[in-house]
Amino acid sequence: MALLELRDVHAGYGSGPDILTGITLDVDEGATTCVIGPNGAGKSTMLKAIVGLVRVRSGEVRLDGQRLNDLRPDQILDRGVCFVPTDRSLFPEMSVRENLVMAGYSIDDKALLGSRIDEVLEMFPVLAERRSERARTLSGGQQQMATLARAWIVRPRVLMVDEPSMGLAPQVTEQVFDVIRGFRETGMTVLLVEQNARKGLECSQWGCVLDLGAKRFDGPADSILANPEIHELYLGRQANGNGSASDG
Amino acid sequence: MDVLQIAILGILLGGVYALMATGLTMLYGVMRVINLAHAAFMIVGAYIAFVLFRDFGIDPLLSMVVTGPALFVVGVLLYQLLFKRIADNPRFTEMTVLLTFGLALAIEGILGSIFSNIYHSTEPSYATGTIDLGSVFIPTGQLYGFIASLVLLAALWAFLYYTRPGYAIRATMQDRAAAQIVGVNVDRISALAFGIGVGLAGVAGSLLSYLFTFFPGSHLQWIGLLLALIVVGGLGSLAGAFVGAIGLSLIAAFAIDQLGPEWSYLTFYVLLFVILLVRPQGLFGKAETI
Amino acid sequence: MADVAGTEPIGGAVERRRLPLSGRAAFLLVVMLALLAVPLLYPVLVPYSYVLQLMTGAFMWVAFASSWNIIGGYTGYISLGHNVFVAVGAYFSAALFVYADISPFATALGAGLVCAALGVGVGLITLRTRGDAFIIATIALMLIAQIGFDNWMWLGGSSGIAVPPLQMSEPALVKVPFYYAMLAVAVGAVYLSYRIRHSRFGLGLRAIAQDEVKAEAAGIDTRSYKVAAFALSAVFIGIGGALWSYSLFYLRPEIFLAIGVAADMVLMSIIGGRGTVAGPVIGALLIVGFNEWSVSEFGSSELNLTITGALLVGALLFFPGGIVGSLRARGKLPRILDWD
Repeated sequence: MALLELRDVHAGYGSGPDILTGITLDVDEGATTCVIGPNGAGKSTMLKAIVGLVRVRSGEVRLDGQRLNDLRPDQILDRGVCFVPTDRSLFPEMSVRENLVMAGYSIDDKALLGSRIDEVLEMFPVLAERRSERARTLSGGQQQMATLARAWIVRPRVLMVDEPSMGLAPQVTEQVFDVIRGFRETGMTVLLVEQNARKGLECSQWGCVLDLGAKRFDGPADSILANPEIHELYLGRQANGNGSASDG
Repeated sequence: MDVLQIAILGILLGGVYALMATGLTMLYGVMRVINLAHAAFMIVGAYIAFVLFRDFGIDPLLSMVVTGPALFVVGVLLYQLLFKRIADNPRFTEMTVLLTFGLALAIEGILGSIFSNIYHSTEPSYATGTIDLGSVFIPTGQLYGFIASLVLLAALWAFLYYTRPGYAIRATMQDRAAAQIVGVNVDRISALAFGIGVGLAGVAGSLLSYLFTFFPGSHLQWIGLLLALIVVGGLGSLAGAFVGAIGLSLIAAFAIDQLGPEWSYLTFYVLLFVILLVRPQGLFGKAETI
Repeated sequence: MADVAGTEPIGGAVERRRLPLSGRAAFLLVVMLALLAVPLLYPVLVPYSYVLQLMTGAFMWVAFASSWNIIGGYTGYISLGHNVFVAVGAYFSAALFVYADISPFATALGAGLVCAALGVGVGLITLRTRGDAFIIATIALMLIAQIGFDNWMWLGGSSGIAVPPLQMSEPALVKVPFYYAMLAVAVGAVYLSYRIRHSRFGLGLRAIAQDEVKAEAAGIDTRSYKVAAFALSAVFIGIGGALWSYSLFYLRPEIFLAIGVAADMVLMSIIGGRGTVAGPVIGALLIVGFNEWSVSEFGSSELNLTITGALLVGALLFFPGGIVGSLRARGKLPRILDWD
């Protein structure tokens, strides 16, 4: 059984139309799954629906067989699903360290939180260097590192990252993907949404193509990369790598 | 009047204004609510202090232990019953302005029917006392009000920066969605912030009760003044509200000295008007995308 | 969506077509004739002065609410300071009456024009803001006007100014000129509202209310449209204010600048149906009637303000579309009340 399952999920914003029009998806434990698809396909909305930021109208989201629908975002985080949005969502007026403390808001054990913060400061020397500066002064790459550090503090069962490469220089993107690979090697399940489809798939075991709010294909990442039809349809047009994920 | 004397009066009142404005800016920060009933809650606090003083001889400064908790509860209820249910409204902030406007009218009417539309104030012995420092004097009542405000604001600051719920409130003020992502139950935190914000209006009412005369309709002048303070400081910014309060209070003190007391409120309103036009995000606030 | 349209009872559609357009016109004609005839019932109608005064007040609020609706409803810019125009209209005509002895009946139109001009000026400034900032700006405007009028000694300041009452050979008929004049103001205001609603200009205003950025992208000169709407919304409020001032013996700023006056315009529009032609009319009649009833039942008290506030909160929470909007959403709005 897959760790995270979506069954015919419909979701949308406010009273607007369904953005997700019936997604069914399995995310296997311990693997990295990459979701690709054009702008407006519903990729970000899917992640938001999983963590409860967008209400699931029908269908079911399950973690380990247990239903997540209708839980609040904080409850879903407690179950072990952590979301890193595209805008990185650091608290701009808090220091880097305060942001890390906030990351561990769901951890009640103060000593544990303290040791995990020390651990990530060791893992990310650049954050240790700037620990007392406000988050808004960080560069895009540093912000992405800080959000990944946040995720590491929580040690989620499923880490969902929305467009980690957005707005980053190629070299920094490489570092970011290295970190995500490192997480996977510890056994963490990763669900990745990536505009830069080739990059995302190369870093994944499983791939999934989303379009018009529903899944079009899925399969092993390398077979998707090799599939000429998908290549033609979805991988060919990645010239607009900075396209926003504003699919809402 | 002596410049130093004017500055002293301006700063003392400014501290009290800061306390009054903090709750207002906090609700905006947490949930983008513009609470036009904030000053009406202050007047409610002032009347509670008035009754406690008149009927039980309780000192208005001491009455804060009643007015604060009482209005804290009101704030929590307000969130649970009113704002939570319209949180998804696409024109949320506009709705909150109208709703709290209606609420302010309702409160004014109730206070008017209980206390009638005449001026009241509590008169503790220190309200009219002064401390003579030779060339300048310090009015005792305003000094006490200033100290009480600073103590409360310091306590609030410590709460926001050194406790877990405090962190959560600040996080929610900075980015509500991000706070949800890191596991903050923003619903509960909003209720708490509403309680604190309206509770602050309550304790401010206790101070108002002896520093100023008041009647049920006076909330309108106050809300105009407080909006000026927080708009200057940047809506939703706690530090901005403090700076705005002290700054504007000083300006008003000099305006009173030069133009006469009837123009003091005008200073605030004109500034409010001008700043909304020139820089709606406030002098210290960040530009917000609509 | 197709399903929903299909379930609409066919009978309803047929009935609509059967009702001739002139049905509504006939209804309004009958109402107008009846309203014109009321003062002729003297002395059958008892208490004559009371009925006339009550109806005059109702006409005034119909005019105020319909005017407010132009900016607050169609354009979506909520003003909590529109009573400033009442005060300006009232004091303009009163000053000309007291100091130059010109009857307010002669200067009321001028008061409306002055308010329109003021509306252009104020609109050019305040309409640079939108949403909540605009609402706060209008509150600031009202507070500034309060201080201004309270300290304008030439107009009596906060203690007020006496206005010589209208003298007539038959004292019982003194309310009649006010009745007809205010009826004309109400008809004028509603007609203006109707014309705007059915014009390209009105369409532009409603586009602004929906999405100002898109409206601008669609080529609408949003700034001019908004300022024009603001100014037009002031005209009949100013005229009504001028006539109101003449019916009082003594003017004080707080009569017009009390928060309740501003709140009532908003409440009437919202209860009746913001952004519709008939809504503010219905809302005004309802609130005036309700206030009259509650005053006669419980006496005039501060609690009237509480009721106003509570109704506003209740309407916003439970009837955001108001009476007209809610009825229309259910397909139960009588054709004679559908003026949109």
